[in-house]
Amino acid sequence: MGKFILRRAAQALLVIIGATLLVFLANFAFGDPFGSTGDRQVPPAIAAANRAAFGLDQPLPLQYLTYMGNLFTGDLGVDYNQNRPVIELLIETVPNTARLALVAIVIDIFIGVTAGIIAAVKRYSFADVLVTVVSTLAIGIPTFVIGFVLVATLSGVGPFPTVPRSFTVEVPWYTEVLLPAFALAIVDAAFVARLMRGSMLEVLRSDYIRTARAKGLSERKVIGKHALRNSMIPVITYIGVSLGGLLGGAIITEGIFQYPGVGYLLFRAIGANNAPVITAVVIFSVLAIVVLSLIVDILYAYLDPRIRLS
Amino acid sequence: MTRSKAGLTAVAMTAVVGLVLTGCAQQSNQGVPGGDAAAQPAVGFPETEDFPETPGKPGGVFRLGISEPTAIDPFNAQESEGIGVTEALFTGLVQVEPDGEVVPGAATDWSANADCSVWTFNLAQGATFHNGEPVDAASFKRGWERAAAPESGSEVSYHLDVIQGYTEYQAGTATEITGVNATNPAQIAVTLAKPDCEYELRTNHPVYSPVPTVVGATTDTAYTDAPIGNGPFKLDGPWQHDTGIKLTRFDEYSVGEPAYLDGAEFTILPSANAAQLEYDGFVNGQFDWARMPPTLLKLARETYEPQGKWLSKIANGMNYLTVAGTKAPMDSADARKAVSLAIDRNAIVQGVLQGSTTPASSLVPSLFPDAYQKDVCGACRYDVEEAKRLAASAGLVPGTELSFQFNTGGGHEEWTAAVRQQLETNLGLKVTYTGLPFTDLLNNQGAPEATGIFRSAWGADYPTPGNFLIPLLATSSIGATPTEPVTGNNYGRYSNPEFDEFVLKASASQDEAERNELWKQAEKIAIGDDQALIPLWARQQFRLVATDKFANTNMNFNENPTLETITLK
Repeated sequence: MGKFILRRAAQALLVIIGATLLVFLANFAFGDPFGSTGDRQVPPAIAAANRAAFGLDQPLPLQYLTYMGNLFTGDLGVDYNQNRPVIELLIETVPNTARLALVAIVIDIFIGVTAGIIAAVKRYSFADVLVTVVSTLAIGIPTFVIGFVLVATLSGVGPFPTVPRSFTVEVPWYTEVLLPAFALAIVDAAFVARLMRGSMLEVLRSDYIRTARAKGLSERKVIGKHALRNSMIPVITYIGVSLGGLLGGAIITEGIFQYPGVGYLLFRAIGANNAPVITAVVIFSVLAIVVLSLIVDILYAYLDPRIRLS
Repeated sequence: MTRSKAGLTAVAMTAVVGLVLTGCAQQSNQGVPGGDAAAQPAVGFPETEDFPETPGKPGGVFRLGISEPTAIDPFNAQESEGIGVTEALFTGLVQVEPDGEVVPGAATDWSANADCSVWTFNLAQGATFHNGEPVDAASFKRGWERAAAPESGSEVSYHLDVIQGYTEYQAGTATEITGVNATNPAQIAVTLAKPDCEYELRTNHPVYSPVPTVVGATTDTAYTDAPIGNGPFKLDGPWQHDTGIKLTRFDEYSVGEPAYLDGAEFTILPSANAAQLEYDGFVNGQFDWARMPPTLLKLARETYEPQGKWLSKIANGMNYLTVAGTKAPMDSADARKAVSLAIDRNAIVQGVLQGSTTPASSLVPSLFPDAYQKDVCGACRYDVEEAKRLAASAGLVPGTELSFQFNTGGGHEEWTAAVRQQLETNLGLKVTYTGLPFTDLLNNQGAPEATGIFRSAWGADYPTPGNFLIPLLATSSIGATPTEPVTGNNYGRYSNPEFDEFVLKASASQDEAERNELWKQAEKIAIGDDQALIPLWARQQFRLVATDKFANTNMNFNENPTLETITLK
């Protein structure tokens, strides 16, 4: 186990280095964050001074090494627009995204698992067809379309906050999180339902289920105690990776709902060519996914004793 | 249902759905309607009347959305958003009414000497900053020097450059701006390095704001996020970046009438889709003042004009094409006029811009009724025959290469493509059409080897025709020899001594009527005779205003709501 974790940690490090290198090159291609843009005419001397202050006048490899060096001492740099330490921005937004991700996962487990079970148990019935068709639609419709539709129809209705809204309007976190979580959860729930259905169908065909039924157990116990646990494994794997992705920040969905999370931060930073923030958020996302897939792999071994961590 | 029947039904359904959806597809971009000499004159969206003055009563909070400002501290406030907050927090020496009239601000009256090289402003007594400190001459000098200091990082201190001693102070060789005399606390005397009889208009720019003794350094973000001013509103908590700015009324405001509003809330929206979010916020009742994306202009007008919530105003700017007039093929007036005549402004305004502006026939906009000359640009109409004739006489034969550059990311792709198509069709030119990031466009325009035409827009800083003519067309605004890149705003490198003489005389004239006459004559030379640049259409601003809740909601010179006069209905 220890060796396994160490190896995965080394792989994670490589992934982070690769990702930051790519982001660095991309930022370089984005263009000058301090130049004149439209209304803003920056005198060349000031633009040059700003660039020098952020070390942008140095050659690219040197900038990269400086950044990586700072990264390992925990210094994520300072954002270009307002000179705020990037770490502060992340601290403000990560809890919001974590809440959003968790609520989305809860919703999608609830809907997805239930739908999947029903579809598998009542195979070929109307419920099964409904679940299959609806899940296909949900996967086919892009998340941002679902997001826009929800904003257009439900924002301001009932408990849901209006989007956009004046910043002084107080909105408790549990109402703010509902609509975006739902938009995110729909697609995931569809995948989970299909996975659940497929996995359960397979499990229901196996010997031990036949034995359980032969023993005279109630159908409820057969499904609930034996079949469910065994069919959850692919679902848990999927949910784990999905959680990692959500923690990285669902950029577009958060943007549509103006939800103050990591994805929204990235959305704004890209628009403003704010390289330190972009790089920091990318690193955070990569870390989130890597850590979560590691956890999922370990969990996998515990769930299914037949699997040995190699 | 048997298998084959099910399959057949599925195919049939898909086909039906597909056909229905194609039928529903809208013809969005039909291209530019062909040039038609008998086309009806484009009207665009007419301006709306200023909202009538209503007596005010205290109360109400005015909410709007903006994109994140560069700065709200006057040392660096620059774009419309930042200036909108700064002008609520600070009151300068003079103020400009929405109709362009200059009225007293922190200064009760002002005068210049005979040749307009020394200006004296008498300050109102008893005025204070939000923290209680008195506002005196030293406060102004302190603010100006703070912005002009070499270490300030101000991007707008150049507005102070006409003051004597500014250059030395900026270079670090002087410890103060010698041209500003603040020894008498009730009076500030400014000596100019270059006489300017309209200098008081410059002082309207926020960089000329006074600052208290407790002002922080320009690098002190704790202060610049919460600057202390002398205006009708003060900050209620610091600027929350990317979130919002909250203002509340300053009750002890004595320079003018105290504001009626209890406060104002500026919600900060991401710049990528700020206009769309402002519109959505207005529709759902969260904002009381909103812009809208260009694609929704028509819909917004149709929905809200009947409700009296629509505001349309020709603003202090102009959209035009910079012409590299010192190099072939645009180096003769006839060639430039030919290009101008070959552009069908009406068709583009109606077709591509959906009627959302007015074709221009001058450089100085109609905002200045005493200096505005409609049709001074004789070639700003659409006349293909005349264009061909002039092109022939200028040697602009079909097949000549013409470079046309514009900036990407500003939504200019469609109309510049239309202009290109018109030039190719009407004059047979070979147009090399390039879209570039804005900085690159500026660099290309100013390069010594620049040729052809460039998409440009000008927003004036001061409410005077001089702020169009001088920066764009005076020889002094080139700031470079023919082998160096342009450092000023006269990218076309237009240089005409006769024009320079007229604008110099105008700047030195104390009589407004005489000045306007001189501006007119100068414009006639540069635009009417020489076609130094090609005016396209006016800068027109549109807003949605919650007039059901608020009154006196006009748009000021900086295209912001007049917060100091707005009141609840």
